[in-house]
Amino acid sequence: MGDLYAWLVSFFVLIALLVVVVYQLMCLADLEFDYINPYDSSSRINRVIVPEFILQGVLCIFYLVTGHWVMTLLSVPYLYYNVRLYLRKQHLVDVTEIFNLLNWEKKQRLFKLFYLICLLFLSIFWMILTALDDHD
Amino acid sequence: MGTENRGRPQFPARPAATPFAAAPPPQNMMPFSSSGPLVGSEASGFRPTPPAAPLPTVPSSTPVVGSQASGFRSPPLARFNDPSVPPPPTSNIPPPVGPYQRFSASPFPSAAQAPLSHAPPLGQPVAQPPAPPASLRPQSQIPPVPMGSPPQSISFSSPNVNVPYSSSDSTFPAPRPNFQSSFPGYARMQSNADLQAPPIQSPFPPHQGGYAPAPPASSSPFLTHQGGYVPPMPVAAPLGLQSRDQMQHLGSGPPIGSIQGLMEDFSSLSVGSVPGSVDPGIDLKALPRPLDGDVEPKLFTEMYPMNCDPRYLRLTTSAIPNSASLVSRWHLPLGAVVCPLAEAPDGEEVPVVNFVSTGIIRCRRCRTYVNPFVTFTDAGRKWRCNICSLLNDVPGEYFAHLDATGRRIDLNQRPELTKGSVEFVAPTEYMMRPPMPPVYFFLIDVSISAVRSGMIEVVAQTIRSCLDELPGYPRTQIGFATFDSAIHFYNMKSSLAQPQMMVVSDLDDIFLPLPDDLLVNLSESRSVVETFLDSLPSMFQDNVNVESAFGPALKGAFMVMSQLGGKLLIFQNTLPSLGVGRLKLRGDDLRVYGTDKEQTLRLPEDPFYKQMAAELTKYQIAVNLYAFSDKYTDIASLGTLAKYTGGQVNYYPSFQSAIHGKKLRHELTRDLTRETAWEAVMRIRCGKGVRFTSYHGNFMLRSTDLMALPAVDCDKAYAMQLSLEETLLTTQTVYFQVALLYTASCGERRIRVHTAAAPVVADLGEMYRQADAGAIVSLFSRLAIEKTLSHKLEDARNSVQLRIVKALKEYRNLYAVQHRLGGRMIYPESLKFLPLYGLAICRSTPLRGGYADASLDERCSAGYTMMTLPVKKLLKLLYPSLIRLDEHLLKASAQVDDLKNLDKRLPLAAENLDPRGLYLYDDGFRFFIWFGKALSPDVAMSLLGADFAAELSKATLYEHDNEMSRKLIRILEKFRERDPSYYPLCHLVRQGEQPREGFLLLSNLVEDQMGGTNGYVDWILQIHRQVQQNG
Repeated sequence: MGDLYAWLVSFFVLIALLVVVVYQLMCLADLEFDYINPYDSSSRINRVIVPEFILQGVLCIFYLVTGHWVMTLLSVPYLYYNVRLYLRKQHLVDVTEIFNLLNWEKKQRLFKLFYLICLLFLSIFWMILTALDDHD
Repeated sequence: MGTENRGRPQFPARPAATPFAAAPPPQNMMPFSSSGPLVGSEASGFRPTPPAAPLPTVPSSTPVVGSQASGFRSPPLARFNDPSVPPPPTSNIPPPVGPYQRFSASPFPSAAQAPLSHAPPLGQPVAQPPAPPASLRPQSQIPPVPMGSPPQSISFSSPNVNVPYSSSDSTFPAPRPNFQSSFPGYARMQSNADLQAPPIQSPFPPHQGGYAPAPPASSSPFLTHQGGYVPPMPVAAPLGLQSRDQMQHLGSGPPIGSIQGLMEDFSSLSVGSVPGSVDPGIDLKALPRPLDGDVEPKLFTEMYPMNCDPRYLRLTTSAIPNSASLVSRWHLPLGAVVCPLAEAPDGEEVPVVNFVSTGIIRCRRCRTYVNPFVTFTDAGRKWRCNICSLLNDVPGEYFAHLDATGRRIDLNQRPELTKGSVEFVAPTEYMMRPPMPPVYFFLIDVSISAVRSGMIEVVAQTIRSCLDELPGYPRTQIGFATFDSAIHFYNMKSSLAQPQMMVVSDLDDIFLPLPDDLLVNLSESRSVVETFLDSLPSMFQDNVNVESAFGPALKGAFMVMSQLGGKLLIFQNTLPSLGVGRLKLRGDDLRVYGTDKEQTLRLPEDPFYKQMAAELTKYQIAVNLYAFSDKYTDIASLGTLAKYTGGQVNYYPSFQSAIHGKKLRHELTRDLTRETAWEAVMRIRCGKGVRFTSYHGNFMLRSTDLMALPAVDCDKAYAMQLSLEETLLTTQTVYFQVALLYTASCGERRIRVHTAAAPVVADLGEMYRQADAGAIVSLFSRLAIEKTLSHKLEDARNSVQLRIVKALKEYRNLYAVQHRLGGRMIYPESLKFLPLYGLAICRSTPLRGGYADASLDERCSAGYTMMTLPVKKLLKLLYPSLIRLDEHLLKASAQVDDLKNLDKRLPLAAENLDPRGLYLYDDGFRFFIWFGKALSPDVAMSLLGADFAAELSKATLYEHDNEMSRKLIRILEKFRERDPSYYPLCHLVRQGEQPREGFLLLSNLVEDQMGGTNGYVDWILQIHRQVQQNG
């Protein structure tokens, strides 16, 4: 039963991460179509970047603690990438160069999005599997 | 066509024909001109020979040289004149822009072949009636087919062909000694032509006549050819084989000749050595050099007389490619360089238009401003936007009837419909807030090193002397703050007799001691300001504070200015050490160079500066940074402030008021008094299918295509690159419109609009023909400098070289493949200087060498400066002028005002420095006066006075009481007046005075080899070799 709750928690965390990433993508898209100015756009994005990183780190540890080491392994590359960005201080969007980096920032977040969706499916799959097991 | 060429690398002579056909796309005429040109080309081919004349033995290399030389106004040209004169075509063609030199050699071989196998094909073309230009094109295409057949002939002839190139002379007993190597071929050509020609002839004879005489007295005739033929020639020249085409054209020629007025500047072919061998064959003297400085593309402006002047807008190529595939084959940058407020000579000022009653006329959909290229229809009630082709209504107040030709009858009173550049007075819709007065805020470092250098005194005096000339009287506002380990603000309220100083020493939480009165109206508080400036130097003369709270001071200044915006001038001397934004002495760490961390040295260390810059721009504050330190001050970080706020960086390493005072005084005065546009935004619009994608220069992007420029002036240029959105452009013409919305110093909101049109072409050759080397170099250098921020210097240099190589390779594929041009280098006439400028970019301060070749601060400040320079100034910096002075000084009769003699620029190589001479090196930022070892002591004595024998590093140049010295000083003044944007300071160097000579002058002689970097010849050889690889 505990396992099922673990999967449920990871499910909601993944959804939260997805929302954050989609939000960032929306800000970038708005910027591209000139609906908001670069100052607002970058400050909105920058506000959620650190929470996103923390949340993802927590999720990774959570998988480890609950013994889902396959999921841990799967989310480690993501974590590594985030940590690397953070250590290089490249994690925040640079308002002065945002237009030159727009494509790169979008591409990076799209990758994250697909990555998260994959994780989400996996976790749903395992959740159902656990639920069925429990049921039996 | 390109593909065809590739297909038959070696002898695809025929493809040559295609270029012709293609060339015309926009205007049919071009191709035809080729016929005329053909002749020319041949001639050009011959030109090379002239140089040979002196040294008949030097076959291969010389020809090339010759051709170039001709381009350059070298002696060979003279020779050519006569021949050209005779041919009628010359008259038709506008005076050549100077472009034509193509390679002479290639034409010959073809000619030789032609008689053998080709004659028949020729006949065909001939047979065709001399058609109008349009018809001609098809012809030109046709020829390729026949050409194909004769391959054998080609092979047959090939030996001949080769010979001329490689070392032809000996093999070809030149009929006329004068004409040497190239001529033999030529002679044949003529003969062939005669043989075959008879039917064709009518057009031909004149040409022949022109040429025939030439050989004997070759020299004079040639020039004329160039002049007359120049435009057309280019086409022919590239392909020797084309000669047939040419012939054909000739057959039809007469009409063609007249038509061709269009120029096709062509490829000039220089002979290179055999790859791999260090061939003395390259004649150093013959390599192209931009000794005339920047040449604006005149043909383009002639084609579209209503375009704005090139000083405002220059396209890297005036022929816009019509397809994405064409863009990908154009390896050079595709874009524009814009200098929206360039200084116009008297009489050409931009007219100001006030649409009071109607509001500004703009397209409803794309917001384009009304311009000379819009068309009025429906009896004048509608106008069609030239950019998006939407039909707009003409407002009632703007209505005017159309005359029979469809032109508005009031055209003469409407500058916006006749001039490419115009300024609209903007109504209130164009204001976010009422126009702000010009604001100047000075933030001055008063730490001990600043005091010692004397900077404060010079700055205070200069500002005081400029108070009358600050733009915007009587609204101008002014304010001051100084900082060391604390920040000092000054209350300048007009009611005070003396300024009040208020010290803020809490650096963590900056607050303003007064809500207002820190920024005051200059006209009201004039006396207080003057008192302050008079006392400023003495106030701090005993200051021994070594700290610098730069970051907090910047924040304070920002708080003072945030209401109004304006210009923030920062005088900085000590590395920021306190509070936010403090910087480390990361300085020049030798070990970092060559590693992946190298580029981080050129990036701002602390994100504070970028954030601050973004904030400053948001509040319309522009930063001009003046840095004076003798130690490392991290210009890379500080310069960021100027970069994103549209400002500039002036760096005076080791400032000493006695030495650099004049320079600072001049440049600060210029900064304070030049006409400045405030609160500006700039956008460049262009027709459907094209889009500007990246922007380069000092500004911040506010949206994808809107540049925010808190302050703009005439010395700033911006570059941008464009890309195609659609795979195929269907329009004939693309229009560009630069719109700068700004507040003039007088408080009026204005929109300056520059409009230009450029033809769309389907042919790569045409793009090359219309290329503007100046704009390309400008974009190139900006891209290279940006690359140094994310890559190693080495990589940045390689990328410059690589792009040049790719471009030349593409060009070679286009034209040269058909021949076995073993040792030759082919390049478009329009880009003949590109390789040299490429070398100069690699040798420029931001990119040169490694750790030891330039200090990090100098590199960065030069980089920031080069990102803003207009084209002309940049080219001068890249390839400075070297002028011999002593002859002029000794000539008693010479008038100083007559600078003509002094306009003779020398190639930048040490071999041109005669030990008996006195030379001036002028890159627009510095003067170096070089004293030869064997310079007569009299001259040195009269110029330097008593210390003429002393070490020159300590000597300064000032006027002595003798004619020669006065003359020199006046000459220098003249040069400075020509370009007032910077003040070149004079440095004296004596020959052999190491290491100063090497450091100051020799390392700047671009054409010489210098410690591991290439000289001009090596560079050309290297590029040539790379072009040939896999070519």
